Amino acid sequence: MKDQNAMAYVNMFAVLKDMEILCGLDEEAKKLASPAKPVAISFNVGNGPQATLSFANGKCTMKEGLDGNIKLKLGSNEAFNLMVDGKKNPTPYGGFSKLKFLTNDFTKLTDLMNKYLRADEKSLNDRAFYEKSTTMMFYLVANALSAIGNHDELGKLSASKIPDGSIAMEINGGPCAEIFVKNGHMTTYNRKAENPRAYMIFADFDTARGLFDGSSEAMTALASGKLIMKGFIPMIDNLNRVLGRAGVYLA
Amino acid sequence: MNTYTYKKDFEYLSRASKVIPAGIYGHQGPAEGCHIPIEAFPKYCDHAKGAYFWDVDGNRFIDYMNAYGPNILGYCDEDVNAAAKAQIDIADVTTQPSYKMVELAELMVDTVKMADWAFFAKNGGDVTTFAILTARAATGRKKIVMIEGYYHGVHQWTQREDAPWVLKGEVENNIIIKWNDVEAFKKVIEENKDDIACFISTPYMHGNFVDNVLPAEGYWQGIRKLCTDNGIVLIIDDVRAGWRLDIAGSDHYYGFESDLLCLCKGIANGYNVSCLCGKDFLKPVASSISYTGSYWMSAVPFAAGIACINKMKKLGGGAKHLEIGRKICSGLAKAAKENGVNLSISGEPSLFYLLIKDDNSLVIHQEWIAEMVKRGVFVTSHHNHFTNLSITDEDINYTCEVADEAFKVVTARHPEVYRK
Repeated sequence: MKDQNAMAYVNMFAVLKDMEILCGLDEEAKKLASPAKPVAISFNVGNGPQATLSFANGKCTMKEGLDGNIKLKLGSNEAFNLMVDGKKNPTPYGGFSKLKFLTNDFTKLTDLMNKYLRADEKSLNDRAFYEKSTTMMFYLVANALSAIGNHDELGKLSASKIPDGSIAMEINGGPCAEIFVKNGHMTTYNRKAENPRAYMIFADFDTARGLFDGSSEAMTALASGKLIMKGFIPMIDNLNRVLGRAGVYLA
Repeated sequence: MNTYTYKKDFEYLSRASKVIPAGIYGHQGPAEGCHIPIEAFPKYCDHAKGAYFWDVDGNRFIDYMNAYGPNILGYCDEDVNAAAKAQIDIADVTTQPSYKMVELAELMVDTVKMADWAFFAKNGGDVTTFAILTARAATGRKKIVMIEGYYHGVHQWTQREDAPWVLKGEVENNIIIKWNDVEAFKKVIEENKDDIACFISTPYMHGNFVDNVLPAEGYWQGIRKLCTDNGIVLIIDDVRAGWRLDIAGSDHYYGFESDLLCLCKGIANGYNVSCLCGKDFLKPVASSISYTGSYWMSAVPFAAGIACINKMKKLGGGAKHLEIGRKICSGLAKAAKENGVNLSISGEPSLFYLLIKDDNSLVIHQEWIAEMVKRGVFVTSHHNHFTNLSITDEDINYTCEVADEAFKVVTARHPEVYRK
């Protein structure tokens, strides 16, 4: 069962956070993320997550908190989740002079996100696009793991069983993430883990994509060496339980 | 020493992955964390004899996993196979069970100290589950007390709620306490007054990823008394350790008597039979439970079991296993010390558990195990090992030579840890 609070954290810290990656990979996104003056959009979700997406000099960064110059109020987790699904409009309550960015450029950015995250078959025939799209999926999943491990009931049970330390999650020759766990609390960093205690490595982009979109079996990938796990295996075993829950939230 | 390659093994695995989920499922497969990295391990057996098996590439391995326990005498033991082959020509799976079932049950009752009766099935999980059903039916209570890190098979009640195939109701009556903690058991009894059906545990803590821990002095006697005083059924899961400590049962080895004892690996040297042994007071309840399977009364494993038990007794039983285990552990410890490696060897010697503790990720340990396997000594990354009675001193000496070379490979590979 999908929990609306956990879904809101996934939407904020995995889906919207993927905007950071988008602006690093896509030239059009970089241009859109270069407003004349910096713009920061704060999402204030009632009883849910609060974070700000900042756009300046072709880059996007997300921080927790509400110090943006555009402020959007979402009354509940459900309302925020509907907004991310494109089914509800938020209520701006500050920064009206920047609303043009919100209605024009930000909308274009979210359309670009959809282009990569819900890519059509024709686009995926272009290998460069395919790898960019898979990179975005990779970070989406890596960040969703922490949101689910910290907020979904079953995810919390799995996370509580992960021994302390860092897990390196990587596509060989591609994107890297560090999942840091302390006392059952998970934090994802979009960077290569320096001193990991356990490793989950996808042999290539095809393996990662196949596992993310469900067209490949994880067990077969493990058995064939396409998905490599090593190190302190109880960390990976329990992370895999959280990963199992990701399907509920990212479907 | 030459190292092995596995061309045909991987060809079979590739074929298997198309028609078998995961290629090889479960703990014997490459996806369960026992074979890291997978390219160091053979995948499919061609044939086996005594202490060895050969993979499909023709590589020979001294086997310290022994099919995860069932190979207790040595592969293809002549006496056990002769009994099984003879039974094949007489009768195996028949409408009414063979009288061999009665003969094996009588032998089990004569052999296992606590046993007043024997109930046969196929796998360890069949009998741990039957033990739980019996305890619940006998007490009219629902809760099960288990030990942290437990493994009692893969049936639903043994799982965790966060497994996607498990329903909350299937595991909500499980209570987990720490090993060697009588006070914790006392506390849960007080907190769950008259609602605990059973306490189930292995005879000692032989979990994975941690040093295995033997029972503290007085531990089992304390648990036994609390069970008796509070009407709780004491179940010992002896599926893994059974008969490698004492053919009379691991509870007997540690000086107490369980109410139900689950046995499997070791009964018939690989022929498929498991057994729940029980005390008289639980027999009427066990009789009343509808629980069986199509092949549970097949006669070939019964005949093999009789031959295996008799041969085990003749060769010295658990004591002989412990003696072989001590020699292996002593040789490995010496090789580790000479190479400056902090190798922890824990648990009972016939089920020794290995763990290099020089890095907290266990990567060095995994690499050392892999180097052993590539040189023909089959051990696994994270599981206790098993002795068999065909292992010779020559095998043990070779094992220690391989261990020494494997230590040298990994210490040279990790100068950041093993700087002279």
